[in-house]
Amino acid sequence: MSAATKLHKTSWCALRQLQQYRTKANFSGSSASIAKRNDLFNQEQRRQRDAVGRIDKIEVRYLGLPEDVTLVMNGNISTPFNCAQHLSEGHCKRSALALIDGSVPWDMHRPLQESCTLQLLNFHVSEPHVVNKAFWRTCSFMLGAALNRAFKPEANLQLHSFPGPNIKSGSFVHDIVLQTQNWEPAKEEMRALSAEMVKLAAQDLRIERLDVQQDLAQEMFKDSKYKSEQLPSIAQQTNGRVTLYRLGDHIDISRGPMVASTSFLGKCVISAAHKVAEEGPSGAFYRIQGVALPSGFQLNHVAFGVLEERSKKPSPARLPNEPFEEQQQLQLS
Amino acid sequence: MMRSVINQFLGLRLSGNCSVLVTQVRDKGHLSRPRLRNPQWFLRKEITKYNDLMTAENKQFVNEVGTNNFGVPAVIKDSLVKTEAPTANEAVWTPNSRRCGVIARKIGQYPLWLKNGERIRTTLLQIADNHVIKYIPPEEYLPAQVPKVANLHKRGCILVGSETTNPALLTKEYAGIFRNSGVLPKKNLARFIVSPEAQLAPGTPLTVNHFRIGDFVDVRGKTVDHGFQGVVKRHGFKGMPASHGVTKTHRRAGNIGGGGEKGRVWPGTKMPGHMGNRWRIIKGLRVWRINTKYNVMWVQGSSVAGPTGGLVYIYDTILPFRKNKEAPPFPTFYGEPQQDGDDLWYEQLHNFKSESITYENE
Repeated sequence: MSAATKLHKTSWCALRQLQQYRTKANFSGSSASIAKRNDLFNQEQRRQRDAVGRIDKIEVRYLGLPEDVTLVMNGNISTPFNCAQHLSEGHCKRSALALIDGSVPWDMHRPLQESCTLQLLNFHVSEPHVVNKAFWRTCSFMLGAALNRAFKPEANLQLHSFPGPNIKSGSFVHDIVLQTQNWEPAKEEMRALSAEMVKLAAQDLRIERLDVQQDLAQEMFKDSKYKSEQLPSIAQQTNGRVTLYRLGDHIDISRGPMVASTSFLGKCVISAAHKVAEEGPSGAFYRIQGVALPSGFQLNHVAFGVLEERSKKPSPARLPNEPFEEQQQLQLS
Repeated sequence: MMRSVINQFLGLRLSGNCSVLVTQVRDKGHLSRPRLRNPQWFLRKEITKYNDLMTAENKQFVNEVGTNNFGVPAVIKDSLVKTEAPTANEAVWTPNSRRCGVIARKIGQYPLWLKNGERIRTTLLQIADNHVIKYIPPEEYLPAQVPKVANLHKRGCILVGSETTNPALLTKEYAGIFRNSGVLPKKNLARFIVSPEAQLAPGTPLTVNHFRIGDFVDVRGKTVDHGFQGVVKRHGFKGMPASHGVTKTHRRAGNIGGGGEKGRVWPGTKMPGHMGNRWRIIKGLRVWRINTKYNVMWVQGSSVAGPTGGLVYIYDTILPFRKNKEAPPFPTFYGEPQQDGDDLWYEQLHNFKSESITYENE
């Protein structure tokens, strides 16, 4: 019985991932390298699941509405999302982030390791700072995916990185490198980028997390020049392990928690693309900025216009061409 | 035949104080049929209200900063920079020129007295916060429903707005109409067909000084909605006696047609039905008095359509004997409003604020 259900579960997971791949994407990076990257991701995911071995039961004490309950879950397999499934469909849909032991932010689809207390956070809690930061970070991550889909192959887009979330700066940011030094984005282009973000949100793509060793990460990102350069310093800070996040077929490196899925993105506008510096003989760094609200929040167009204007200002976050100082520990994403 | 009789009456120069009261001829109800059919791209004006969970200080901040995009520009009088609209100095009035109109509210009715003691009835119209929003030149103006205006293809269209509102309560599309005009979004919009030389720059304010005392105006308003009314109120039928054996027939129409070869109810037979809520234009109303401080004008009579507080649209009259003979403020009044705040009275009016009995100091 258990073997049959296990088989059913893996095939269902594989089917779901295939569905997420098939979303038609116009890759500016070669589709072969992206497919390879996803293959390696899947293999590692499967390997880590198989490596669990004997399943240990953990007690997860859920605190919150409708009542505090203790759930008995599978260690290193069950996720906070699975705990929400025991509660209700509303909990599954509304919870963006989980809080372990009252202080540790945890991705909804990341397996729980030991017995703990669990709180499911949405955007209407009284202390939303943690979930807001995760949302901002997710917006930057989604922007990377949208840029991959939006740019033409001629642009030779390469994603560089995105700095840590700073909501007070007024915008979320993603840094890219283009093979042109005089790109002045037109209004229609910015609107097309915003439309890509909204399309991603409409697809309700799950955001998956994976902890990998540095050499596997190097293998996955060997086609990306900038990621390969960043990986050694990233791995150094976290004991040789690198955290990867996947959204559809877009994979990126990031430290902190992301929200559960792209459906939490509400109104979103990509407002500005500033040229930061030139790169090589014919390329340049560009900083793409935008502002967004979580879904479910309504704001009149005048107030949102004020936010949009603010988000056009050049963000004070660390620039991609500046040397990364380990001492300073500017939150690596 | 009725129509020619009416035209003859109009031709007679009766004492120019009162307008001639004529029964309006409503041919077969075509004036009473509602003609408005909104096109598919008709804009929704107001957003559905919701609680947007903003803190009070955020709301205040947005009110201050968010409306910076809309600002009242100064009216350009002697500009050095080339602008598209002809400035005040250049526009030349001809008797065939058609000026912009204004949007006003009917705020009440009041009697006024002439110097010979005659009492006249007047209606007060307030021109509240009018600004020009846009000018559409004749080549570009293509309305979905073509208005009955002579030489429409030679005339442009001025969009005028009245009564500023908070843009946060309006849809983004509707507020977008005002973005390039430099004024905050308005509650009411109206089109006025004008000759090209009468064009105005967006943001130009329109005040009561656009008209002068002694001018004649046409006023268009929507009549009071009386709902479904019987034949006595609607068409003025006499009805039947209240007593003397009359059975169950006191306010009914009675006979509705004859017999014979055309023995049927004729189209257009007066019957009970919906009364009111129709656009009516009353023409040739004299402007007796003007108050520049509150932008109020007193016009002749009590026949302005609509309830008190209702919107009306004021145009220069097209009646041939009452049209402007010399140039009015063209294309509009650009000067400084008079500072002393006293009303402007037509010469025949008795100014009851002035002293009527004077004593010599002894």
